[in-house]
Amino acid sequence: MNTDLNFDTEFFWKHLLTPTDAFIEGLWRTIYISVTAMLLALIVGLVVALMGRSHFTVLRWFAGGYVWLIRGTPLLVQLVLVYSGLAALGVYRFQDIMVSGLVFQGVVQAAIITLTVHEGAYISEIVRSGIESVDPGQIEAAAALGMTPLAAMRQIVLPQALRTMVPPLGNIFNMLMKSTSVLSIIGVSEMFLVAQGLSATTFRTFEIFLVVALYYLALTTIWTFTQRAIEIKLNDQVGIVRSESMIKKLIGRRPIRIEAGV
Amino acid sequence: MSNVNELTVDRRLCKPPMVQIQAASRRLGGHQVLKDVNLSVSEGEVVVLVGPSGAGKTTLLRTINHLEEIDSGLILVNGQMVGHREAGDGKVSRDSARGIARKRQGIGFVFQHFNLFPHMSVLENICHAPIKVLGRSKAEATATAERLLERVGLLDKAAAKPRNLSGGQQQRVAIARALAMDPALMLFDEPTSALDPEMVGEVLDVMRELARDNMTMVVVTHEMGFAREVADRVVIMDAGQIIEEGNPKEVFNAPRHPRTIEFFSKIL
Repeated sequence: MNTDLNFDTEFFWKHLLTPTDAFIEGLWRTIYISVTAMLLALIVGLVVALMGRSHFTVLRWFAGGYVWLIRGTPLLVQLVLVYSGLAALGVYRFQDIMVSGLVFQGVVQAAIITLTVHEGAYISEIVRSGIESVDPGQIEAAAALGMTPLAAMRQIVLPQALRTMVPPLGNIFNMLMKSTSVLSIIGVSEMFLVAQGLSATTFRTFEIFLVVALYYLALTTIWTFTQRAIEIKLNDQVGIVRSESMIKKLIGRRPIRIEAGV
Repeated sequence: MSNVNELTVDRRLCKPPMVQIQAASRRLGGHQVLKDVNLSVSEGEVVVLVGPSGAGKTTLLRTINHLEEIDSGLILVNGQMVGHREAGDGKVSRDSARGIARKRQGIGFVFQHFNLFPHMSVLENICHAPIKVLGRSKAEATATAERLLERVGLLDKAAAKPRNLSGGQQQRVAIARALAMDPALMLFDEPTSALDPEMVGEVLDVMRELARDNMTMVVVTHEMGFAREVADRVVIMDAGQIIEEGNPKEVFNAPRHPRTIEFFSKIL
């Protein structure tokens, strides 16, 4: 093994702790594209899942076809088709637009739309299985109380489905944050593309991409804790007592349990 | 009140019966679940449906509030069809989801497995429909809910979540939830069948009290003691048909139909 590692420690720490403005901008872009696409994809996923349960055959077919098409093709291909393909075809060219003084880049619009449509297909499947996981007796109980099917879905079924949906949805968001790196292919200057630029000018490929990896890790770690907090809150809501923390489980130290009523 | 003809006379003299089932039939995949069932329940009456499993008791009960549909026949609750509506020209068509929901408001239903809403507290379970469906104020709904919880002996559990209650407690909450809608009629589908034996009593006590307060009730149950004591009329079903009915004393002491005799010999 080569003991004379070509690792520029100073460069690494400098970029990790005091990233350049361009890098921070890229990081910020990664975050807001992920969050926006996730929120929109949740709406798309919910609507498609409900279409899939509709009485109208056309809506069910549409939902089935959408999921089949989107899940069956790579994100990268969809991205190029939407941004470059549509423009080349002369159908639609994404333009920068100004929203209250801020420039909303055409390429970012295309990225958010594609990610929304892409993740929406997966989320609709999660929503579908979430709804199916709720005891049909809940719908009957709501109906017997005079609630319309729509009110029962909104007030009784979906809140319960949410609890089973959070872990897979959390997974989707985790993967979504990382798959924003694919956006570099159409020229969205998110974290990955900025890093590629730095790497090309400094030749410090390992250092800069190690920094990138750590920032992605930081994002997904924050999300892991957020997701855990959401899960605990939803468990509280149905009266499930909080289990001991992960750290305690790992260390193996069991807290002394005090029996209720003693 | 045991005789069908007397009831017919009753109906003409007084109000229409609370529940009126005429020639109701339902077929499910080649199996006749209900076969030409006729039954009428007057206001304030407690009718208990008994019979071997698979006899169609639960199906009959569920058709009353249109949780299940009939293929032919007519079911009126308070003089109205729950699942259908009659146009001015007398044409009958399927009612809208909203129309059906409105007519179900006055019919309380208690399920074998309680079906409480797990994401809501006991109090929220009871208040939810009065607020969201009937449009009552939160204060009014809460006051009613607390009064009902006191009545079923569970006021101290108002803030608890269903999963942390015993089966008997859950079923009493479910009864309170149904009562919060001020129903004119209460339907009970084997309300004690999913309970541990020591919890059956507390639920039956609540039902007994309801009957004393003149609630109109239709109860599917295997609790023959309850039927004997509380029912105004016992209806025996077998293979989708009503084979015998009468006041509990008559039916239990001197059953006429051979299938009734066979059924009682197995369970009593």
